[in-house]
Amino acid sequence: MALDRKIAYINLTTGDVEIKPIPLEMRKKFIGGRGMDAYLLYNHAPKGCDPIGPENPMIVSGGLLTATCASATARTHVMAKSPLTGLLGSCNMGGFFAPEMAWAGFHHLVITGKADKPVYLWIHNGEIEIRDAGHLWGKNSTDVQWAIRDELDDEEVKSMVIGQAGENLVTYACVMTGIKNAGGRTGLGCVMGSKNLKAVAVRGTMDIKIAHPVDALEHNKKFIDQITGAKVNQIQGALGTPFIWGATNCWGGVRTRNFQYNQMEYADEIEPEAIDDYATETMGPHHMTGCFGCQVHCRAQYKIQSGLYKGKYDEGPEYTSLGAFGAEPDCKSIETVLTGNHLVNQYGVDNLEIGSMIAWAMELYELGILTSKETEGLDLRFGNDEALLQMVHNICTRTGWLGNVLADGGIPAAEKIGKNAFDYLIQVKGMNNLHSDERATPGLALNIATASRGSDHLRSRPAIDLYHLPEPVLRKIYSSPVPYDGPLSSEHTEYIGKPWQVFWQENVYMAVDCLGICKYHTVFLGATLPNFEDWPEVIYYNTGLEFTPKEIWDAAERCNNLERLFNLREGLTRNDPQKGDTLNHRYFDEPCRRGAPDVIGKRIDRDKFNVMIDEFYEHHGWDNDGVPTSETLTRLGLENEPTRLL
Amino acid sequence: MADKERVSSSESLRSTRTFGKVRCHNPSCMGRLTPSPGSKQITCPTCGMTYRLFWVTPELPRIRGPVWDVNRKLVQETLEKKLGTSDSDSK
Repeated sequence: MALDRKIAYINLTTGDVEIKPIPLEMRKKFIGGRGMDAYLLYNHAPKGCDPIGPENPMIVSGGLLTATCASATARTHVMAKSPLTGLLGSCNMGGFFAPEMAWAGFHHLVITGKADKPVYLWIHNGEIEIRDAGHLWGKNSTDVQWAIRDELDDEEVKSMVIGQAGENLVTYACVMTGIKNAGGRTGLGCVMGSKNLKAVAVRGTMDIKIAHPVDALEHNKKFIDQITGAKVNQIQGALGTPFIWGATNCWGGVRTRNFQYNQMEYADEIEPEAIDDYATETMGPHHMTGCFGCQVHCRAQYKIQSGLYKGKYDEGPEYTSLGAFGAEPDCKSIETVLTGNHLVNQYGVDNLEIGSMIAWAMELYELGILTSKETEGLDLRFGNDEALLQMVHNICTRTGWLGNVLADGGIPAAEKIGKNAFDYLIQVKGMNNLHSDERATPGLALNIATASRGSDHLRSRPAIDLYHLPEPVLRKIYSSPVPYDGPLSSEHTEYIGKPWQVFWQENVYMAVDCLGICKYHTVFLGATLPNFEDWPEVIYYNTGLEFTPKEIWDAAERCNNLERLFNLREGLTRNDPQKGDTLNHRYFDEPCRRGAPDVIGKRIDRDKFNVMIDEFYEHHGWDNDGVPTSETLTRLGLENEPTRLL
Repeated sequence: MADKERVSSSESLRSTRTFGKVRCHNPSCMGRLTPSPGSKQITCPTCGMTYRLFWVTPELPRIRGPVWDVNRKLVQETLEKKLGTSDSDSK
């Protein structure tokens, strides 16, 4: 059964492997996936450890429901101390890796140490081997996966790998699986590279016994109907995540030219429908594909039709690549977007981070803070497609002064560039923001300011806030499983009620990350999708474990507090511009200049923002500095952490 | 374990799903617009914002993007009022 999957501790320095069961009481407290990873990180990472040192544990996991009959339980989670931020490192990706790891007998891996030469892990049916990877070092993310399959003579092997960006210790390198599934954020590919770990390969045929199989299958039909019946998922199944662009770029929520504008005008060529027209052979409603056990099929496939990379196959682009290689650098070519997307998949680097870094450098270049001396003659003005793609190469291979500096991440790069470069860096806690512009949406601004892994849209974003839902509908969603009778507002330009929405979303996202479910199957982009009330049956029928909606909420809150404790231990303070719960000054000082008429002139009100932070902390049971009170820790059963029970 | 007849909050909200309509993307408007089947664009009767449409299925339209020239004119007028400038800053 799912509950008998194990945890393995692998020390790459010594070669020691230890395998342990996961006690049920730990499941009840931390569920699995990201939540259990937070427990393991807080307990195994020494305070102040070097993110690229051998003592930094890299934790890999599937969720509690991974590889069961439940829908869309494909997610793999990876956690470590981040080399990009020095705080929580955490990323999550789709594909097929985590289910295969579960069939191989494991839900969690804790990888410490550093191999003295390149290696990969081969995990199969309860066995773990450390194998030489000298011949794999230098290969891109796709080629290395096929090389491992060839070597092991099994096309069903699934691998989690790094490309050259991880080998070169780019601080925002990804872990990758499949063609484009990226554990993209916070640079955990860099942590893998620092351990000389090129890949983790898994293959399993160990059955997972479903606790109540007939009920599980029957219930899943209802679940799937609820998920596929949502308009948002029907649109995703035709156009992929770029469908979001249609709305956000209409009203002015797309960061353009770094942060100069909030809309990319006349960008019709990179709309998802245009991508569909361009890549006629492989994209479109009948050419979408999906992750393990998912019915939404939001992953597009394409071939580049022109240019240096003509004929190359890839997957995506995700919405994020439209920003990284379109809006932020102000490049309007579909060929550039698809090529940029292809390059980051091959190198294994975070598209959000690299796009933001290059757009930031472009603004610095136009301001004269960077000159042609630092760019070594590269004309780094906005809209220069060739320069954009060249910088992707330069960063991933650490070529040239600027490529090498930008590969270290925003804050170290700002220090090396000097002058007032930091003022233009659109980051929170050292991680760049998605290409979204939150000046007109205070709830979303609060979300990125307080997200546990830095500026991020997948940790607590109340995205349905943009739908202008009637207040009774909002109340129905946000008043369960914990009663809430405070204010809620349908207006996404308002501040009222947003702290509760962000708090609620933070818990719902943690819960799906613990279960191993995709966020498109919960209240992220669709208001009518499953949440706390819908999960107890799924968990019970598949695993036999009983939870109430409130117990799932409590576990999620507990795990979020563990992440908070980790960040506080590593230096987070409320108002620190580099490690705090705050925003770049431009959010407060520069009004929006594009978008819908009522977005024009919007900026975040600093006083109201601070009140939102106060309320957000209060909902958590944190003090005015954002530190959990002793009462809160006791309520959540965290008063004795670290307990080192696992 | 479970009451199989129970309807969760999210399930109960399924009845609020609307097909054949789109919402105006102007944040202070957000009116529901019902385009003619297969039509290529639609103008919000309340705020004047005009959008290009894409039909995912014959029953499921979505806003593909703005009609730039129309909407920029609206923005220009707003800018002049709010910021006291006639420069829309558009390059």
